[in-house]
Formats: sequence, C-alpha cells, structure tokens
Amino acid sequence: MAEHLTNFPYLTCMVLSPVIGIAIILFLKEEQKFLIRAVSLVSAGISLGFSIYTFVAYDRALGGLQFVEKYEWVKGFGISYFVGVDGLNAPLLLLTGIVIFTGVLTMWELELRVKEYFAFMLFLVTGVFGVFMSMDMFFFFLFYEIAVVPMYVLILIWGSTRKEYAAMKLTLYLMAGSGLIIPGLLLLYATSGLYTFDLLKLHGVHFSPWVQKLTFVLLLFGFGVLAAMWPFHTWSPVGHVAAPTAVSMLHAGVLMKLGSYGILRIPMYLCPEGFQYWSSLFGLLAICGIVYGVFVGLAQTDLKYVIGYSSVSHMGIVALGLATGTVDGLNGSVFQMFAHGIMTALFFSAVGYIYDRTHTREIHELGGFCKIMPVASAFFITAALCGAGVPGFASFWAELLVFIAAVRVFGIGGLIALASIVVGALFALRVVQNSFYNEPNPKFTHLEDVSPFLGLPRMILIATLILFGIFPSLMLDLIKTAVVPFISGL
Amino acid sequence: MKAVALFLPELYFLLMALVLFFCSLRRQTEPSKDFRLFLAMSAGGILVGALSLFQQGSLFFASYQVDLFSQVFKLALAGGVFLVALICHRLPGVEDRFHAEFYLFLTTCTVGMMMLVSAVELLTIYISLELASYSLYILIPMRQGDGIDVEAGVKYLFIGAVSSCFMLFGLSYLFGATHSTYLVDILPKMPALLASPVGLLGLILSLAGFFFKLSLFPIHFWAPDVYQGGANQLVAYIATASKVAAVAILLRFAALGSSYGYSFAQILVFLSIVSMTLGNLVAIIQKDFKRMLAYSSIAHAGYILMGVLTLSESGYTSVIYYAVAYLIMNFTCFMVLSEVADDGRDLQIAEFAGLYHRSPLLALALMMGLFSLAGVPPSIGFTGKLLIFTSAMNQGYFWLVLIGAVNGTISLYYYLRVVYAAYFMDPGDLPKVVPSPAIRWTTYALILIIIGFGVFPMHVVDLARTAVKFVLYT
Repeated sequence: MAEHLTNFPYLTCMVLSPVIGIAIILFLKEEQKFLIRAVSLVSAGISLGFSIYTFVAYDRALGGLQFVEKYEWVKGFGISYFVGVDGLNAPLLLLTGIVIFTGVLTMWELELRVKEYFAFMLFLVTGVFGVFMSMDMFFFFLFYEIAVVPMYVLILIWGSTRKEYAAMKLTLYLMAGSGLIIPGLLLLYATSGLYTFDLLKLHGVHFSPWVQKLTFVLLLFGFGVLAAMWPFHTWSPVGHVAAPTAVSMLHAGVLMKLGSYGILRIPMYLCPEGFQYWSSLFGLLAICGIVYGVFVGLAQTDLKYVIGYSSVSHMGIVALGLATGTVDGLNGSVFQMFAHGIMTALFFSAVGYIYDRTHTREIHELGGFCKIMPVASAFFITAALCGAGVPGFASFWAELLVFIAAVRVFGIGGLIALASIVVGALFALRVVQNSFYNEPNPKFTHLEDVSPFLGLPRMILIATLILFGIFPSLMLDLIKTAVVPFISGL
Repeated sequence: MKAVALFLPELYFLLMALVLFFCSLRRQTEPSKDFRLFLAMSAGGILVGALSLFQQGSLFFASYQVDLFSQVFKLALAGGVFLVALICHRLPGVEDRFHAEFYLFLTTCTVGMMMLVSAVELLTIYISLELASYSLYILIPMRQGDGIDVEAGVKYLFIGAVSSCFMLFGLSYLFGATHSTYLVDILPKMPALLASPVGLLGLILSLAGFFFKLSLFPIHFWAPDVYQGGANQLVAYIATASKVAAVAILLRFAALGSSYGYSFAQILVFLSIVSMTLGNLVAIIQKDFKRMLAYSSIAHAGYILMGVLTLSESGYTSVIYYAVAYLIMNFTCFMVLSEVADDGRDLQIAEFAGLYHRSPLLALALMMGLFSLAGVPPSIGFTGKLLIFTSAMNQGYFWLVLIGAVNGTISLYYYLRVVYAAYFMDPGDLPKVVPSPAIRWTTYALILIIIGFGVFPMHVVDLARTAVKFVLYT
C-alpha cells in the first residue's frame, strides 16, 4: 500500500482533541456543569471536524494510505507511532466522530457526576479513534484496551438494570478476548523475523501456513468477542441494556465495530491462507448470529433488549460480509459497519429519551406512545425501518451488497440468512406497532415531546442515514479504493 | 578516590545508617525528628544514586562490579527507599521508641541490596543477600501487634534460612565443579557443566535464594503471612525495593544459563506458569488487601520470570522496565493502603468502601495502581507486560504467553473488586481520609509517572537496553 505523508498532523489532532478535553475537564469543578458539557462538546466537535475533513479530503484517485504520520517510538522493539487513513477506516473515523458528537448532545441533561462521566467518555473515544487510525499493532492494541476498559466504570456508575453483573461480565468477556489477541499479535511479530509491529511491513512477509491458521483463529475469536460474534455475544445485550444511553450509543454504535474492523485489519490482512482455511467456519458463525439474533429478539419485551439482539444480528451481517472475502462482501461489510453504527446510535438515543421520561422500556407499557410523543417515536420508528433494511437508508445498500456476495459464496447458508432478514422486518414492525400504535398508556399523557435542541443529535443521525442511503456512492467509492487492492492481496 | 566514587551510593547509605544508629541511642524518643532526618537523607540518596549512574569499574579484587546495570538498580532502590520514607510520616504500627531503629534497619537492608546488585562473586552475593535478609528478620516482628507479627517474623526467618541453605548447597556445587567463585570464571565453563545434572542442579538451587526474595513458587508461601503480619510501611518496602533487588541479581545469575538453554529454561517455564496461575487464582478469594497483594506479587514473580527465562537482550530489557514499573505501581497501592489505615491496622478490601467519597484523589491513585498491576493501558504495567510477552514470544514460548495473557484476565477480576469497593460501595460511617500535602503531591507524581512512562516508554527502555549489555555476556 502506498503511503502518503501529511504536512499537518490531522490524525494526531483528531485523537488528541478528546485528551485535551479531559485535561481541561479535570481542572473544572463538578458544579460547573455547563462548562464541562461545553468543553466535551467542543473537543468532540473538533474531532468530528477532523474526521469529516479526512473523509472528504481523502484523494480517491490516489488511493493507498493517506494523512500518514510515522515516528519511531520504541526502537528496540520495533514499535512506531504510525497512523493513516485508507478506504477501510475513513468511514469508521467519520462514524466515531458523529456518534461521539451526538452522544455528548444526547447526555446534555445528565446531572449525576457530570465531570467524571464526560472524562471517561472522552477517554473511551480516544481509544476508539486510536484503534481505527493505527497501522502499528502495538498502538492498535494499546488503544483497543483503552476503549474497552472505561466501559466498566461507565456502566457501573451510570447504568441501570443489573448493572453490576453486566459490567463485570462485559469486562471479563472482553478482557478474555484480549487474552487471545495478545498471543496472536505477538506470534505474528515473532515469526515474521522483522521484529516490527508495523502492519504494512508485516504484510510483505509470507507467514508459514500453520502460523497463519493459528493466528487467524486466535484473532478471529479474540476480536470476535467484541464484535459480538455468535456464540461469544452473550455479554452484549446485557451490557447494552445496563449501559447509560450515550454509552450504549458508543458501544453498540462504535465499539463493536472495533472487533469487526480488527478482524479485517489484522488477521484477514496478514493471514490470507488462515482466512481461506477458516472462512467457512467464520461464515457459519456469522449466519448463526444473524438468525439467532433475529429469533431471540422476537421474544423480548424490553426495547433495549430488542435493540441489543438486533445488534447481534446486524453484526452478524458485517461478519458475513467479511467471511465472503469478495469485493462486494467487503464493501458491504464496511458500509454496514458505518450504517449500523449510526442506526444503533439513533435507536439507543431514541430509547434513552423515552426511558428518561417514562422510566420504562416495556413494549406493552408504552402502548400508543406515538400519540404522546410523536417526534421521539418518529426517531425510533425511523431507526427500526432502517434496521429492517428499507431502501432509502444507508443500511439497505450495505445489506444488499453483503447478501449478494453471501448467496454467491455460501449458497444455501446465504439464503437462510437472507430469509431471516424477512423475519427481522416482522420483528421491527411488531415492536413499532406494539409500543407506538396501540392504545396510549394514560400514565404518560402529561409528558412533553422532544425539544428542538434535544432533537438535534437525532436529526443529525437521521440525516446521515438518509444522505448515504440516497448517495451510497459517496461511501462506496471510498471503500472500494481500499477493498480492491485488499482482495487482490488475499 | 576512584574507588570512593564507585562505592559512593553504598557509602552514603552506610553513613546514613550510622547517623540513624546515633539517633536510636537518644534517651528521649523524638519520632518526628527521626522521620524528618530519614526523609531528608533518603532524598539525598536519590541524588547520590543519580550522580553515580554512569560510574563504571570494579572493586575488591573484581568481586564487585559497578556498571550501568547495577547503577540503574541502585537508583531504583534509592527511589524506593525515598518513597517508603514518604509514607512513614505516620508510623503507628511501630512503637515510637523503635522508630529510629526501624529506619536504621531499612537503611542497612538497602545497603545489602545495593551490594547485591553489584556483586559478581558467589560469596559476596551470599553475604549481601544475608545482610538484606537479616535486617528484614528484625524489622518484621517490630510491629506492635497481637502476635501475628511474631508469627510472620518467625516464618520469614525459617523460610529464609531454608532457602539460604538451598542456595549455599547450590553454590557449593558450582564452586566444586568450576573451582572458582567468580561469575566471570564460571561462565565459560557453564556450557559443559550444564549438560551434566550437577551443573543444572547447582544453578537451580543457587537461584532458590533469589526466588525466595521474589516470592516465586515454590518458595512463595511466606508472602501472604509476612505481608499481613508486617507493618504497612515495611511491607511496602518488601513489596517494592526488595523485589527490585531480587530481580537484578536474578538477571545477573540466570545469565549463567544462557549458553545452554533447554532444560534450564524449561524448569523456569514451569515455575513461571505455576507461580502466576497459583498467585492469581488464590488472590481471588482473599478478603485482606495485603494478602491479596501478596498473592498478586506471587503472580507478578511469574511474569518477571517469563522475561528472565528468555535469556535474551530484549527479555532482560523488558524485565528491567517491568521491575521499575512494578516498584511504582505496587508502591502506589501501598501508599493508599497506609494512608487509609491511619492507625496501622490491616485493611480488609471492604474497608475501601466508598473511598471515592472519602478521598477522591486516593481512590484515583488506587485505581491507577491496580489497573496498572492488571496490565490495563495506558499504564506502565501494560507496556511492561506487553514487552515481556513480546520477548517471550520472540524466543518461541507461545504457550507461556497464552497462559500469561489468560492470567491477565483472571487477575483483572480481583483488582476490579477493589476498584468496585472504592468507587461503588456505600462508605457507611467510615471516616474521611485527608492526605497531607506531601502525600498529595506524591500521588500526582505517581499517577503522572504511571501514565507518562506507559505511553512514552522509550527512554526507560533505551536505558535498560544499554544496561543489559553489561550482564548478558553472550
């Protein structure tokens, strides 16, 4: 991959902006709530600005790795600070920027331990940005862990519904995943003979088949835990339900993509033979996830559980796209990571708003909520339609591409997954009907609808979904610049 | 004059011991005066250690080697003593009239350890080790208590004596087989010797004395009792400075086995795996904070051994880095412990309940220290552990790294329990904790070091790499 150095450190600024935000917040007093929120918003906004800039200014004709910054970090161990943007991570950086920005806006009304909340959230997002932009395995893993650990604290303090259980379960699951990732990464490092963590240099090495097979399966399961790959998904619905709104947004929207992005960026990139060997297992697990998520979701009565299981199913689609190992599949998969991220953020943000007012997420208790809060309900319904794969939204294109590839590669398995999407539509419509179009619950009639300010973050998310739904080429042209050379290397 | 310059840190600490000895002769007890003197002199120790960092030479008929390797460790030891001195401002665990003696023996112990890291001759090594051990034999039962201190003291004495016996036995084998007590002479004969059981047995038994200090399986079982029975400040010293010295000499000694790898390394692999797994599993069920840290130190001895057994430059470098990291992060936990237990009692994990409300700063320090011990980034512990894993993998120890990584996950569970208590449990009627300004600034500095050196490890790593060249002869 060609590297194009940059003359201005866009990416470093993107990742440091939240860090500086944290540093300022730490010097503010808990009482200065407005200032704390403003600082978080500004630092998230700066990151968002940079991520939009890299997305737009990425030279699609040139391709390769752009905005590259590379400094030697620890010479003796071959560690370098090496960040860059290509077609695979540009959409994900943009996604992170959008979700954190809207996440801060969504939590504007938070009153409990505001200072720490925003500090931890910015810390988490630093890790996420870092993972997406790192081209060095050491920093990749460093940022990966940074993104995972604050979740424990965030769920434990600001969460709800069995939060202690959920926080511990989530942390231990994800750390167990890291326990598989470390040996996998280090095996690549050690057997390459180059003693470098640099992904591009390692790409030039031909690893022996058994190293490729072993590493691939270690990293597949290690990252698979975070990507909620069936059967390692059980932490995810529980965790999402327990987490506070913006954390669910970030977690389901962005963090889970770290897992699938990790699979794409490291094991698939470096171990093509391992991928060939394990791809049918990978595909099978993905299909299981899709079908399982849909059917378990059908039985749920809590809105957040419904979304949690739909996430399992949608992440299965991402994994299925990767498992096909084709241009269409990977295009769709990366696009689906982006689309699902925005969509889930919208889902959780809508549910969070409703829950804050009604203190319930039971579908039957909400009843005809559409008559009480038409705008809030509209947000949720939009997300549900998007989740069902209605044309006009970004996820339609993503799912279409993935299923075209899947049916071609996996045949009957792809068809089964596709069929379950129909059930998924049923699933979405059932939830929408029962919670928004039944008889309204008189308990909630006094509630006010979303104010324009609080509606703003949700509007941004919807606008993004529709923009990329109508002009998918904005995204696909970019992704293609990376996927085509990627596949030819497989 | 050159000799004095070479021996300067040891001389300084000897002088310090002498001054403290005169203090202990005073008729009236003046604990605060003793404390200030000890603090000031140990601060001077850091300065002396830093000044003599780049000294190089040998002393006492070449039995005593001064090089960057030894000086780095001496600086770390001086730093450790100074940190421990900082938390001695309240020393409720020890009777007032014994404070001067307490400081005196801490100092002599440090002298012993400083000599240990420079010693390159078997008898010098043994004598230095015993000087350090005897000081600790006296220090442990000094705590005011209900007899648990005596039990701990006796246990430490007996196990220490037994491990010394093993060590002497092993050293006699080495001496008998090579006709020399100098490491320089022994080294070229090791490849031939290690092929025979005598050499292997001699080397492994000789390491027993260092395994004891490091609380490595199978000589680990003193740790929980001594940690619980000793005064908090003393245990902070045992858990930090004493471990660092053990690591240093272990590195120097294990290098003897570097010429002939397999069975020697296999034994260490076994010890490392058992030590970290056992330590982490038993730590889960502990209720007493110090006992938990004791088992965590057994687990960490396993991690450290993982780097030692690579017998490679990168492995040694990462062990030095990790030893320094371990000193910092473990000390952070002990500092919080001794501040919270202001009357010198043993602290149950449950007594950290609501520490966040009682002292947010200490709660943050505790969390940073524990996360660093667990290997969570961005911290010095994470980077250290990853460097160790990297170098072990470079030597092809795949399973060892896998087990180590899984152990990291297990350990997170019990560290998180303490964090949970500190942040999420109701404080009830537990009192507020107000750290003094000195402790507050130390806490800021420690947190900064934990994060700063975790993200920017290059300078320490470079220094360690240069230092390693002096011990790894091959």
